[in-house]
Amino acid sequence: MKGFVLLLALCAAAPGYAAPQQDVLVALTVEAGGAASPTRGEKLFRGKFSAGKSAESCTACHGDDPKVPGQHFKTHKSIDPIAPAAQHDRFADAAKVEKWFKRNCPEVLGRACNAQEKADFAAYMISVK
Amino acid sequence: MPDGLTWKNLAILATALGLAGMWIGNAPADDEAVFPMPRDKTYLAECGGCHTAYAPGLLPARSWRRMLAELGNHFGEDASLQEPVRLALLKDLEDMAADGAFADLRMRRVAASVPAGATPQRITDGSSFRYIHDEVPKSFWQRKAIGGPANCIACHPRANEGRYGEREIRIPQ
Repeated sequence: MKGFVLLLALCAAAPGYAAPQQDVLVALTVEAGGAASPTRGEKLFRGKFSAGKSAESCTACHGDDPKVPGQHFKTHKSIDPIAPAAQHDRFADAAKVEKWFKRNCPEVLGRACNAQEKADFAAYMISVK
Repeated sequence: MPDGLTWKNLAILATALGLAGMWIGNAPADDEAVFPMPRDKTYLAECGGCHTAYAPGLLPARSWRRMLAELGNHFGEDASLQEPVRLALLKDLEDMAADGAFADLRMRRVAASVPAGATPQRITDGSSFRYIHDEVPKSFWQRKAIGGPANCIACHPRANEGRYGEREIRIPQ
């Protein structure tokens, strides 16, 4: 019984997805050299940009609600939710995170994302509950 | 016993029927169309991230070679890959292409439908694609969950495993 209570307490204190995302966020924040701002991250996510090669915003593929699947604006493929709260493997693998920033930032912004933008963006997605 | 009904003639008839049955049975059946897929997860991760992981057997090898040489402008987007990854993917695509060494009858028909001098890039422009989808009403393609013919996996849920069989089709509303 004691063990069960302990288990419940652990579950409440540490949701299963928290750990790897925190590691990724810490690494991105260190790289940025300043605190990550979920507010700025959300602005980036919802911002409309005309400099991009094809998509004008992140939401063109990821949808307005990061907790529900998006749809690729050109191929119409369904895209898993981008928020870890809904899709547990999101922002859990630093290499994968880097790969998709590298691929998608030029599509939307017309340039690479800087370290601060990456940290802000990740902070926002991880903060979505 | 009527004239001509001998054991020998019965044997000839049975053999002829059997051979005809084997010939018909050997034809590719639309209800269980299965294409080989790269075993490596890279194809699904790199290409399947943005679109259906199209079966290599849907285009000839020369189309895949051109596509992987032009990833910097992949239908208007930069889908560049690290060179070792690109080469590994290209090898699988060539091996399993419609005109690859191990292509089955279905794949060879796809290959034969491509004009000799052409290196098509869009599977959905091909005559074999259009022929096999000619009964799909235009309104289906415009449904939100489908969006267009490039979205194979919308109606062929196991397309990423190379399975396009008719009996596995589920058309979203």
